[in-house]
Amino acid sequence: MPLNQAKDLTRLADEELMRIAQGGDPRAFEVLYDRHGGAAFSLAYRMVGTRAVAEDIVQEAFLSIWRSKVRYERERASVRTWVLGIVHHRTIDALRRNLVHDRRRASAEGIEERQEAPELTDVEAVRREEAREVRAALQTLPGEQSRVIELAYYGGFTHTQIAEMLDMPVGTVKGRMRLGLEKMRREMQGATA
Amino acid sequence: MSRGHEQYEESVGAYLLGALPELETEAFEKHLSSCPTCRRELDDLRVAADALPRAVEPVAPPPELKKKLMATVWAEAEERQAAPKPRRRPFLERLPRLTPAWTAVAAACALAIGIGIGVGVANIGGGSAKTVAALVDHKQAPMGSASLHVPSGGAKGALLSVQGLPDPGAGKVYEVWVQRDGTMQPAGALFSVGSGGSGTAGIPQSLEGAQAVAVTAERDGGTLRPTQMPVLTVKLS
Repeated sequence: MPLNQAKDLTRLADEELMRIAQGGDPRAFEVLYDRHGGAAFSLAYRMVGTRAVAEDIVQEAFLSIWRSKVRYERERASVRTWVLGIVHHRTIDALRRNLVHDRRRASAEGIEERQEAPELTDVEAVRREEAREVRAALQTLPGEQSRVIELAYYGGFTHTQIAEMLDMPVGTVKGRMRLGLEKMRREMQGATA
Repeated sequence: MSRGHEQYEESVGAYLLGALPELETEAFEKHLSSCPTCRRELDDLRVAADALPRAVEPVAPPPELKKKLMATVWAEAEERQAAPKPRRRPFLERLPRLTPAWTAVAAACALAIGIGIGVGVANIGGGSAKTVAALVDHKQAPMGSASLHVPSGGAKGALLSVQGLPDPGAGKVYEVWVQRDGTMQPAGALFSVGSGGSGTAGIPQSLEGAQAVAVTAERDGGTLRPTQMPVLTVKLS
Protein backbone atom coordinates (compact mmCIF):
# COMPACT_ATOMS: atom_id res chain seq x y z
CA MET A 1 0.00 0.00 0.00
CA PRO A 2 1.44 3.42 -0.88
CA LEU A 3 2.36 5.60 2.07
CA ASN A 4 -0.34 8.18 1.42
CA GLN A 5 -2.97 5.44 1.52
CA ALA A 6 -1.55 4.14 4.77
CA LYS A 7 -1.87 7.62 6.25
CA ASP A 8 -5.42 7.88 4.95
CA LEU A 9 -6.39 4.86 7.00
CA THR A 10 -6.36 6.98 10.13
CA ARG A 11 -9.20 9.05 8.67
CA LEU A 12 -11.48 6.09 8.17
CA ALA A 13 -14.36 5.11 10.43
CA ASP A 14 -13.92 2.04 12.59
CA GLU A 15 -16.37 -0.03 10.59
CA GLU A 16 -14.51 0.65 7.35
CA LEU A 17 -11.17 -0.08 9.01
CA MET A 18 -12.53 -3.35 10.30
CA ARG A 19 -13.60 -4.28 6.78
CA ILE A 20 -10.08 -3.59 5.49
CA ALA A 21 -8.44 -5.37 8.42
CA GLN A 22 -10.73 -8.30 7.69
CA GLY A 23 -9.20 -8.34 4.27
CA GLY A 24 -5.85 -9.05 5.93
CA ASP A 25 -4.35 -5.56 6.09
CA PRO A 26 -2.11 -5.17 9.17
CA ARG A 27 -2.02 -1.37 8.80
CA ALA A 28 -5.78 -1.13 9.21
CA PHE A 29 -5.58 -3.50 12.15
CA GLU A 30 -2.88 -1.34 13.72
CA VAL A 31 -5.06 1.75 13.48
CA LEU A 32 -7.86 -0.17 15.19
CA TYR A 33 -5.46 -1.17 17.96
CA ASP A 34 -4.30 2.43 18.34
CA ARG A 35 -7.91 3.52 18.76
CA HIS A 36 -9.16 0.81 21.09
CA GLY A 37 -6.11 -0.88 22.60
CA GLY A 38 -5.94 1.64 25.44
CA ALA A 39 -9.57 1.15 26.45
CA ALA A 40 -9.13 -2.62 26.16
CA PHE A 41 -6.06 -2.60 28.37
CA SER A 42 -7.68 -0.28 30.90
CA LEU A 43 -10.70 -2.58 31.19
CA ALA A 44 -8.61 -5.74 31.55
CA TYR A 45 -6.33 -4.04 34.07
CA ARG A 46 -9.31 -2.76 36.06
CA MET A 47 -10.61 -6.32 36.26
CA VAL A 48 -7.43 -8.27 37.00
CA GLY A 49 -5.28 -5.62 38.72
CA THR A 50 -2.06 -6.95 37.23
CA ARG A 51 -0.35 -5.46 34.20
CA ALA A 52 1.21 -8.69 32.97
CA VAL A 53 -2.10 -10.57 33.02
CA ALA A 54 -3.94 -7.64 31.43
CA GLU A 55 -1.33 -7.57 28.64
CA ASP A 56 -1.80 -11.28 27.96
CA ILE A 57 -5.57 -10.91 27.83
CA VAL A 58 -5.48 -7.90 25.48
CA GLN A 59 -2.93 -9.52 23.20
CA GLU A 60 -5.01 -12.69 22.95
CA ALA A 61 -8.21 -10.71 22.40
CA PHE A 62 -6.74 -8.65 19.56
CA LEU A 63 -5.11 -11.68 17.97
CA SER A 64 -8.44 -13.46 18.04
CA ILE A 65 -9.93 -10.48 16.20
CA TRP A 66 -7.12 -10.49 13.66
CA ARG A 67 -7.35 -14.21 13.04
CA SER A 68 -11.14 -14.57 12.99
CA LYS A 69 -11.98 -12.17 10.28
CA VAL A 70 -15.67 -12.84 9.88
CA ARG A 71 -16.86 -12.02 13.32
CA TYR A 72 -17.67 -8.34 13.39
CA GLU A 73 -21.25 -7.49 12.49
CA ARG A 74 -21.76 -3.78 12.25
CA GLU A 75 -25.52 -3.94 12.74
CA ARG A 76 -25.11 -5.40 16.23
CA ALA A 77 -22.67 -3.03 17.93
CA SER A 78 -19.99 -0.41 17.37
CA VAL A 79 -16.47 -1.68 16.86
CA ARG A 80 -15.44 -0.30 20.25
CA THR A 81 -18.31 -1.98 22.09
CA TRP A 82 -17.60 -5.21 20.26
CA VAL A 83 -13.86 -5.13 21.05
CA LEU A 84 -14.48 -4.33 24.72
CA GLY A 85 -17.07 -7.10 24.88
CA ILE A 86 -14.45 -9.58 23.68
CA VAL A 87 -11.92 -8.32 26.23
CA HIS A 88 -14.52 -8.51 29.02
CA HIS A 89 -15.50 -12.03 28.02
CA ARG A 90 -11.88 -13.20 27.91
CA THR A 91 -11.07 -11.58 31.24
CA ILE A 92 -14.04 -13.24 32.91
CA ASP A 93 -12.91 -16.51 31.37
CA ALA A 94 -9.45 -16.04 32.88
CA LEU A 95 -10.92 -15.07 36.25
CA ARG A 96 -13.28 -18.04 36.32
CA ARG A 97 -10.47 -20.41 35.44
CA ASN A 98 -8.65 -19.07 38.49
CA LEU A 99 -5.77 -17.83 36.40
CA VAL A 100 -5.97 -14.44 37.95
CA HIS A 101 -7.76 -14.44 41.29
CA ASP A 102 -4.77 -15.77 43.19
CA ARG A 103 -2.35 -13.35 41.59
CA ARG A 104 -4.84 -10.55 42.11
CA ARG A 105 -5.24 -11.33 45.79
CA ALA A 106 -1.51 -11.68 46.26
CA SER A 107 -0.72 -8.47 44.45
CA ALA A 108 -0.64 -5.02 45.95
CA GLU A 109 0.63 -3.47 42.77
CA GLY A 110 -2.60 -1.86 41.64
CA ILE A 111 -1.97 1.60 42.95
CA GLU A 112 1.69 2.03 42.13
CA GLU A 113 1.26 0.61 38.63
CA ARG A 114 -1.55 2.91 37.71
CA GLN A 115 -0.44 5.23 35.02
CA GLU A 116 -2.57 7.84 33.40
CA ALA A 117 -2.92 7.50 29.68
CA PRO A 118 -1.67 10.60 27.91
CA GLU A 119 -4.25 13.03 26.63
CA LEU A 120 -4.33 12.23 22.95
CA THR A 121 -6.91 13.86 20.82
CA ASP A 122 -10.27 15.56 20.80
CA VAL A 123 -11.78 12.10 20.45
CA GLU A 124 -10.03 11.08 23.66
CA ALA A 125 -11.39 14.17 25.39
CA VAL A 126 -14.92 13.24 24.32
CA ARG A 127 -14.37 9.74 25.66
CA ARG A 128 -13.25 11.07 29.00
CA GLU A 129 -16.40 13.14 29.16
CA GLU A 130 -18.41 10.01 28.40
CA ALA A 131 -16.51 8.22 31.15
CA ARG A 132 -17.46 10.93 33.61
CA GLU A 133 -21.11 10.59 32.62
CA VAL A 134 -21.08 6.83 33.10
CA ARG A 135 -19.35 7.17 36.47
CA ALA A 136 -21.90 9.81 37.46
CA ALA A 137 -24.73 7.44 36.47
CA LEU A 138 -23.14 4.68 38.55
CA GLN A 139 -22.86 7.03 41.51
CA THR A 140 -26.56 7.81 41.42
CA LEU A 141 -27.34 4.18 42.20
CA PRO A 142 -28.08 3.06 45.72
CA GLY A 143 -24.94 1.45 47.15
CA GLU A 144 -26.41 -2.04 47.16
CA GLN A 145 -27.10 -1.82 43.42
CA SER A 146 -23.76 -0.33 42.36
CA ARG A 147 -21.94 -2.87 44.51
CA VAL A 148 -23.46 -5.93 42.83
CA ILE A 149 -22.95 -4.39 39.39
CA GLU A 150 -19.28 -3.62 40.08
CA LEU A 151 -18.60 -7.03 41.61
CA ALA A 152 -20.16 -8.72 38.60
CA TYR A 153 -18.89 -6.61 35.73
CA TYR A 154 -15.45 -5.55 36.97
CA GLY A 155 -14.87 -8.39 39.42
CA GLY A 156 -16.00 -11.20 37.15
CA PHE A 157 -17.93 -12.85 39.98
CA THR A 158 -21.08 -14.87 39.36
CA HIS A 159 -24.34 -13.97 41.08
CA THR A 160 -23.98 -16.97 43.37
CA GLN A 161 -20.50 -15.87 44.45
CA ILE A 162 -21.79 -12.36 45.09
CA ALA A 163 -24.74 -13.72 47.06
CA GLU A 164 -22.31 -15.63 49.27
CA MET A 165 -20.02 -12.64 49.71
CA LEU A 166 -22.85 -10.31 50.66
CA ASP A 167 -24.84 -12.95 52.51
CA MET A 168 -28.06 -12.40 50.63
CA PRO A 169 -30.34 -14.52 48.43
CA VAL A 170 -29.35 -14.99 44.79
CA GLY A 171 -32.72 -13.61 43.72
CA THR A 172 -31.99 -10.37 45.55
CA VAL A 173 -28.62 -10.05 43.84
CA LYS A 174 -30.15 -10.59 40.41
CA GLY A 175 -32.94 -8.14 41.15
CA ARG A 176 -30.46 -5.46 42.20
CA MET A 177 -28.43 -5.96 39.06
CA ARG A 178 -31.49 -5.52 36.90
CA LEU A 179 -32.80 -2.50 38.80
CA GLY A 180 -29.34 -0.91 38.85
CA LEU A 181 -28.89 -1.23 35.10
CA GLU A 182 -32.38 0.11 34.52
CA LYS A 183 -31.66 3.16 36.69
CA MET A 184 -28.30 3.71 35.00
CA ARG A 185 -29.97 3.59 31.61
CA ARG A 186 -32.50 6.21 32.65
CA GLU A 187 -29.78 8.44 34.11
CA MET A 188 -27.65 8.19 30.99
CA GLN A 189 -30.56 8.88 28.68
CA GLY A 190 -31.44 11.87 30.83
CA ALA A 191 -27.88 13.12 30.52
CA THR A 192 -27.95 12.96 26.74
CA ALA A 193 -31.55 14.12 26.27
CA MET B 1 -44.14 -13.42 26.84
CA SER B 2 -43.11 -17.06 26.65
CA ARG B 3 -43.75 -20.01 28.91
CA GLY B 4 -41.51 -19.97 31.97
CA HIS B 5 -40.82 -16.27 31.61
CA GLU B 6 -41.19 -15.63 35.35
CA GLN B 7 -38.28 -17.96 36.00
CA TYR B 8 -35.96 -15.88 33.83
CA GLU B 9 -37.16 -12.31 34.03
CA GLU B 10 -34.77 -11.41 36.87
CA SER B 11 -31.79 -12.84 34.96
CA VAL B 12 -31.53 -10.16 32.27
CA GLY B 13 -29.23 -7.91 34.31
CA ALA B 14 -27.01 -10.74 35.49
CA TYR B 15 -26.73 -12.04 31.92
CA LEU B 16 -25.64 -8.65 30.59
CA LEU B 17 -23.06 -8.29 33.35
CA GLY B 18 -21.61 -11.73 32.62
CA ALA B 19 -22.68 -12.90 36.09
CA LEU B 20 -24.64 -16.01 35.17
CA PRO B 21 -22.81 -19.30 35.58
CA GLU B 22 -22.39 -21.25 32.35
CA LEU B 23 -25.35 -23.53 32.70
CA GLU B 24 -27.69 -20.67 33.56
CA THR B 25 -26.33 -18.69 30.64
CA GLU B 26 -27.18 -21.58 28.35
CA ALA B 27 -30.68 -21.89 29.75
CA PHE B 28 -31.27 -18.14 29.59
CA GLU B 29 -30.12 -17.94 25.98
CA LYS B 30 -32.49 -20.74 25.05
CA HIS B 31 -35.29 -18.85 26.78
CA LEU B 32 -34.30 -15.62 24.99
CA SER B 33 -34.74 -17.20 21.61
CA SER B 34 -38.43 -17.66 22.35
CA CYS B 35 -39.23 -14.68 24.58
CA PRO B 36 -39.73 -11.29 22.95
CA THR B 37 -40.31 -9.67 26.37
CA CYS B 38 -36.85 -10.64 27.62
CA ARG B 39 -35.24 -9.71 24.29
CA ARG B 40 -36.80 -6.26 24.50
CA GLU B 41 -35.59 -5.75 28.06
CA LEU B 42 -32.17 -7.05 27.10
CA ASP B 43 -31.93 -4.48 24.31
CA ASP B 44 -33.02 -1.72 26.71
CA LEU B 45 -30.57 -2.57 29.47
CA ARG B 46 -27.71 -3.31 27.10
CA VAL B 47 -27.20 0.44 26.75
CA ALA B 48 -26.17 0.62 30.41
CA ALA B 49 -24.10 -2.57 30.42
CA ASP B 50 -22.22 -1.54 27.27
CA ALA B 51 -21.34 1.76 28.94
CA LEU B 52 -19.61 0.15 31.93
CA PRO B 53 -16.18 -0.28 30.28
CA ARG B 54 -16.20 3.43 29.49
CA ALA B 55 -16.25 4.26 33.21
CA VAL B 56 -12.84 2.71 33.76
CA GLU B 57 -9.90 4.98 34.59
CA PRO B 58 -7.61 5.05 31.55
CA VAL B 59 -4.33 3.21 31.98
CA ALA B 60 -1.78 3.36 29.19
CA PRO B 61 -0.85 -0.02 27.78
CA PRO B 62 2.90 -0.68 27.64
CA PRO B 63 4.40 0.02 24.19
CA GLU B 64 5.83 -3.53 24.18
CA LEU B 65 2.30 -4.87 23.97
CA LYS B 66 1.72 -3.20 20.61
CA LYS B 67 5.17 -4.22 19.40
CA LYS B 68 4.58 -7.88 20.24
CA LEU B 69 1.05 -7.85 18.83
CA MET B 70 1.99 -6.18 15.55
CA ALA B 71 5.06 -8.38 15.11
CA THR B 72 2.77 -11.40 15.19
CA VAL B 73 0.20 -9.76 12.93
CA TRP B 74 2.79 -8.73 10.32
CA ALA B 75 4.41 -12.17 10.40
CA GLU B 76 1.05 -13.86 9.84
CA ALA B 77 0.09 -11.40 7.09
CA GLU B 78 3.37 -12.06 5.26
CA GLU B 79 2.88 -15.76 5.69
CA ARG B 80 -0.55 -15.50 4.11
CA GLN B 81 0.79 -13.44 1.20
CA ALA B 82 3.85 -15.61 0.61
CA ALA B 83 1.85 -18.78 0.34
CA PRO B 84 0.32 -19.27 -3.10
CA LYS B 85 -3.42 -19.42 -2.80
CA PRO B 86 -3.43 -22.86 -1.31
CA ARG B 87 -5.85 -25.56 -2.06
CA ARG B 88 -7.71 -25.65 1.19
CA ARG B 89 -6.67 -28.88 2.80
CA PRO B 90 -9.22 -30.80 4.79
CA PHE B 91 -8.94 -30.37 8.51
CA LEU B 92 -7.56 -33.82 9.23
CA GLU B 93 -4.69 -33.31 6.77
CA ARG B 94 -3.53 -30.28 8.72
CA LEU B 95 -3.20 -32.11 11.99
CA PRO B 96 0.27 -33.29 13.06
CA ARG B 97 1.80 -35.77 10.63
CA LEU B 98 0.29 -39.12 11.36
CA THR B 99 2.57 -41.62 13.02
CA PRO B 100 1.45 -45.25 13.16
CA ALA B 101 0.01 -44.56 16.60
CA TRP B 102 -1.88 -41.56 15.26
CA THR B 103 -3.11 -43.57 12.35
CA ALA B 104 -4.54 -46.12 14.73
CA VAL B 105 -6.26 -43.38 16.70
CA ALA B 106 -7.62 -41.81 13.54
CA ALA B 107 -8.92 -45.14 12.33
CA ALA B 108 -10.54 -45.79 15.67
CA CYS B 109 -12.11 -42.34 15.54
CA ALA B 110 -13.50 -42.94 12.11
CA LEU B 111 -14.87 -46.27 13.18
CA ALA B 112 -16.37 -44.87 16.37
CA ILE B 113 -17.93 -42.02 14.47
CA GLY B 114 -19.13 -44.27 11.72
CA ILE B 115 -20.85 -46.86 13.82
CA GLY B 116 -21.72 -45.32 17.10
CA ILE B 117 -23.23 -41.92 16.97
CA GLY B 118 -26.25 -40.18 15.63
CA VAL B 119 -25.07 -37.89 12.88
CA GLY B 120 -26.33 -34.35 12.95
CA VAL B 121 -25.90 -32.14 9.93
CA ALA B 122 -27.52 -28.76 9.62
CA ASN B 123 -27.40 -25.86 7.27
CA ILE B 124 -26.95 -22.75 9.35
CA GLY B 125 -28.47 -19.52 8.23
CA GLY B 126 -32.09 -20.44 8.02
CA GLY B 127 -34.79 -18.84 10.05
CA SER B 128 -35.40 -21.19 12.95
CA ALA B 129 -33.24 -22.19 15.90
CA LYS B 130 -31.41 -25.48 15.52
CA THR B 131 -29.80 -27.96 17.85
CA VAL B 132 -27.34 -30.28 16.19
CA ALA B 133 -25.87 -33.41 17.77
CA ALA B 134 -22.10 -33.81 17.70
CA LEU B 135 -19.99 -36.69 16.49
CA VAL B 136 -17.92 -37.74 19.47
CA ASP B 137 -14.64 -39.67 19.34
CA HIS B 138 -15.51 -42.33 21.86
CA LYS B 139 -11.88 -43.42 22.12
CA GLN B 140 -11.13 -40.09 23.73
CA ALA B 141 -14.47 -39.61 25.45
CA PRO B 142 -16.21 -42.96 26.02
CA MET B 143 -19.14 -41.33 27.82
CA GLY B 144 -19.15 -38.14 25.80
CA SER B 145 -22.03 -36.43 24.10
CA ALA B 146 -22.52 -32.89 22.88
CA SER B 147 -24.87 -30.65 21.00
CA LEU B 148 -24.68 -27.25 19.37
CA HIS B 149 -27.56 -24.86 19.78
CA VAL B 150 -27.80 -22.21 17.06
CA PRO B 151 -30.35 -19.47 17.75
CA SER B 152 -32.85 -18.50 15.09
CA GLY B 153 -31.36 -16.58 12.20
CA GLY B 154 -27.97 -18.20 12.71
CA ALA B 155 -26.30 -14.81 13.04
CA LYS B 156 -26.00 -14.60 16.79
CA GLY B 157 -23.35 -17.17 17.50
CA ALA B 158 -24.09 -20.50 19.08
CA LEU B 159 -23.84 -22.45 22.28
CA LEU B 160 -22.01 -25.74 22.56
CA SER B 161 -23.06 -28.02 25.44
CA VAL B 162 -21.02 -31.08 26.35
CA GLN B 163 -21.51 -33.92 28.79
CA GLY B 164 -19.29 -36.81 29.78
CA LEU B 165 -16.02 -35.38 28.50
CA PRO B 166 -12.88 -36.37 30.43
CA ASP B 167 -10.77 -33.73 32.12
CA PRO B 168 -8.48 -32.41 29.35
CA GLY B 169 -5.45 -32.93 31.62
CA ALA B 170 -3.12 -30.75 33.64
CA GLY B 171 -2.37 -27.43 31.98
CA LYS B 172 -4.91 -28.09 29.23
CA VAL B 173 -8.31 -26.78 28.24
CA TYR B 174 -10.80 -27.61 25.54
CA GLU B 175 -10.64 -25.24 22.59
CA VAL B 176 -13.46 -24.70 20.09
CA TRP B 177 -12.77 -24.38 16.35
CA VAL B 178 -14.90 -23.25 13.43
CA GLN B 179 -14.16 -24.76 10.03
CA ARG B 180 -14.60 -22.50 7.00
CA ASP B 181 -13.36 -23.25 3.50
CA GLY B 182 -11.61 -26.27 4.91
CA THR B 183 -9.64 -24.22 7.43
CA MET B 184 -10.00 -24.48 11.17
CA GLN B 185 -10.09 -21.10 12.88
CA PRO B 186 -10.14 -20.49 16.64
CA ALA B 187 -13.70 -19.76 17.72
CA GLY B 188 -12.39 -17.67 20.60
CA ALA B 189 -13.90 -20.08 23.10
CA LEU B 190 -12.03 -22.17 25.65
CA PHE B 191 -13.75 -24.21 28.28
CA SER B 192 -13.13 -26.75 30.97
CA VAL B 193 -15.53 -29.37 32.26
CA GLY B 194 -17.02 -29.80 35.68
CA SER B 195 -18.19 -32.87 37.49
CA GLY B 196 -19.80 -35.31 35.10
CA GLY B 197 -17.70 -33.87 32.31
CA SER B 198 -20.27 -31.22 31.51
CA GLY B 199 -19.55 -27.77 30.28
CA THR B 200 -20.67 -25.13 27.82
CA ALA B 201 -18.93 -22.76 25.46
CA GLY B 202 -20.40 -19.73 23.76
CA ILE B 203 -19.31 -19.19 20.17
CA PRO B 204 -19.49 -15.43 19.65
CA GLN B 205 -19.68 -15.42 15.87
CA SER B 206 -22.18 -16.23 13.20
CA LEU B 207 -21.84 -19.78 11.90
CA GLU B 208 -23.34 -18.89 8.58
CA GLY B 209 -21.24 -20.55 5.89
CA ALA B 210 -19.30 -22.61 8.43
CA GLN B 211 -18.74 -26.26 7.63
CA ALA B 212 -18.16 -27.61 11.10
CA VAL B 213 -17.45 -26.84 14.72
CA ALA B 214 -14.86 -28.99 16.47
CA VAL B 215 -13.26 -29.28 19.90
CA THR B 216 -9.72 -30.33 20.75
CA ALA B 217 -7.77 -30.46 24.00
CA GLU B 218 -5.04 -27.82 23.85
CA ARG B 219 -2.58 -26.15 26.16
CA ASP B 220 -3.98 -23.64 28.61
CA GLY B 221 -4.64 -20.37 26.85
CA GLY B 222 -5.40 -22.04 23.54
CA THR B 223 -3.46 -22.37 20.31
CA LEU B 224 -3.58 -20.88 16.84
CA ARG B 225 -4.16 -24.22 15.13
CA PRO B 226 -5.44 -27.53 16.41
CA THR B 227 -2.64 -29.82 17.51
CA GLN B 228 -4.78 -32.76 18.56
CA MET B 229 -7.45 -34.95 17.05
CA PRO B 230 -10.90 -33.48 17.69
CA VAL B 231 -12.72 -35.01 20.60
CA LEU B 232 -15.98 -34.00 18.96
CA THR B 233 -17.18 -32.50 15.71
CA VAL B 234 -20.48 -30.90 14.74
CA LYS B 235 -21.06 -30.93 11.00
CA LEU B 236 -22.95 -27.92 9.72
CA SER B 237 -22.96 -28.47 5.97
